[in-house]
Amino acid sequence: MFSERAAPTAQGLLAPPSAEPPTFPRVPVAGYSDCSQPFRLGERSFSRQYAHIYAVRLAGMRPALERRARGRWGSDIALRKLSELQAGEKCCVVGTLFKDMQLQPSILQEISEEHNLVPQPPLPKYIQPSDELILEDELQRIKLEGAIDVQRLVTGTIVAVYGSEQEDGRFLVEDHCFADLPPPLPWDGPSSDRFVLLASGLGLGSVSGEALLSTQLLVDVVTGQLGAEGEQSCAAHITRVILAGNLLSQNTQSRDTINKAKYLTKKTQAASVEAVKMLDEILLQLCTSVPVDVMPGEFDPTNYTLPQQPLHRCMLPLASAYATLRLVTNPYQANLDGVRFLGTSGQNISDIFKYSSMDDYLEILEWTLLAGHISPTAPDTLGCYPFYKSDPFILTECPHVYFCGNAPRFQSKLLQGKEGQRVLLVTVPDFSATQTACLVNLRDLSCQPISFSGFGADSDD
Amino acid sequence: TEQPRRITDSFPRRRRRGPGRPPGRLKDKKDKDKVQVKVRDPPRAPSQPPPDPALLEMLRRFDLSWEYGPCTGITRLQRWERAQELGLSPPGPIRDALLEHRDNPDVTYRWVWDGMGG
Repeated sequence: MFSERAAPTAQGLLAPPSAEPPTFPRVPVAGYSDCSQPFRLGERSFSRQYAHIYAVRLAGMRPALERRARGRWGSDIALRKLSELQAGEKCCVVGTLFKDMQLQPSILQEISEEHNLVPQPPLPKYIQPSDELILEDELQRIKLEGAIDVQRLVTGTIVAVYGSEQEDGRFLVEDHCFADLPPPLPWDGPSSDRFVLLASGLGLGSVSGEALLSTQLLVDVVTGQLGAEGEQSCAAHITRVILAGNLLSQNTQSRDTINKAKYLTKKTQAASVEAVKMLDEILLQLCTSVPVDVMPGEFDPTNYTLPQQPLHRCMLPLASAYATLRLVTNPYQANLDGVRFLGTSGQNISDIFKYSSMDDYLEILEWTLLAGHISPTAPDTLGCYPFYKSDPFILTECPHVYFCGNAPRFQSKLLQGKEGQRVLLVTVPDFSATQTACLVNLRDLSCQPISFSGFGADSDD
Repeated sequence: TEQPRRITDSFPRRRRRGPGRPPGRLKDKKDKDKVQVKVRDPPRAPSQPPPDPALLEMLRRFDLSWEYGPCTGITRLQRWERAQELGLSPPGPIRDALLEHRDNPDVTYRWVWDGMGG
């Protein structure tokens, strides 16, 4: 793909400079439309409880699940509410899952004085063999047992279970299903090679500056300042760069200044100020050459709850002067050249990782697509805005490219659905740790990693 | 030597006066003789006659019907419109009553106990 085209012209670097250096115009932006309007919050009111978002999630996904249940277990199965259950009758119930976990951090346990507990340290995973699954619908809840993987599932998923209620009041599950892949979108992709560069976790402002060289190499490749004519002509086919979160490093979130008294910290500057200046300069170099979409992440200066709102343009005065810079929300959805992209900065996937036995980020990403919801654990364990009218994280159409940022490593998979859906799943790795970004070819939905490394004092070569 | 780049170079400081705000508010602050009385707006006189108890009872039943989702923290009209969008067919007369009496806070919000907004 990228490197195959570049290789034959590598000898050009050893030739004498030509009188007229060749120029490669970047492929023009054919079609772009931003579809992340549901993730934009206007006036925000936090005086609501989260019962609303769970109610609209269930009401919104119930029709799709009932259709799936009828298709899977027969169109004559009994769809019952929990209040209508009769012991021993085989029926299907649609509801929200709740996983009762012993190790789940609970603020009430922490402040309870009778227990006198030390606050629980953060663990990589909070699952335990003693966890239980409970199904809730609009009015009641019931414990589940049987053919359902308790360890794998997380709170907030909408599921349809088929089975019967037992004498002891539990529901014995014989089979269960999720909403499955949403309906497909028509394909209108380009006929020639167009690439989109996905990178995340630039991690600026960290203590070590090792990743800075790799970041500069990435910028140079995209703007065509690296390599011979072959690489430059390939770079001219990159139509867009999407930065999926964590542009700032976790080190910029220093907690010491927050706990100290104000008069001691008056003159200290927040670590994120320097980091944002660096980000501005890097984005300036990119924006002069290619459209860039910047999504905020976990450590970026924007709101904490999902959906994260775009970074404010006053933080990036140099780069905001260019119209090619787009500051977008997390999650982000857009049509690029007829290909629908949907992705997050990774908080939804890493939260599911903590509360599920699934270890592979790509597996979790695929599972969220099959469950029909971007982030089922919000608002239980992941902060979320209290929506009341509709849940914008429900997947109503199947995207062509579904990505998540800040994964531990690069993985990709092309998923084919029964109704003709074709989705490319990409886990974009953390650039500050792996120095790897991804190139997605919009023509055939293929994806390849691109890695950068510098020769340091420790390396052998 | 070059000056460090300041954010105020790109975004100059501007003294903001909100629309309709009188200029020179600093003068008023010095006047401490005035007793600071918090004046609340007088309860707005309803333009229509107060809604009859049967209507309020119907609205209360609408609040308590579980089919339309939770009723706390949102106005009744918002709840009605949400139910409409989800295809739950809420009864039309409720919406007509809510729009007719939209000035009356007892009608627009779900019934409040002890002033807690939920």
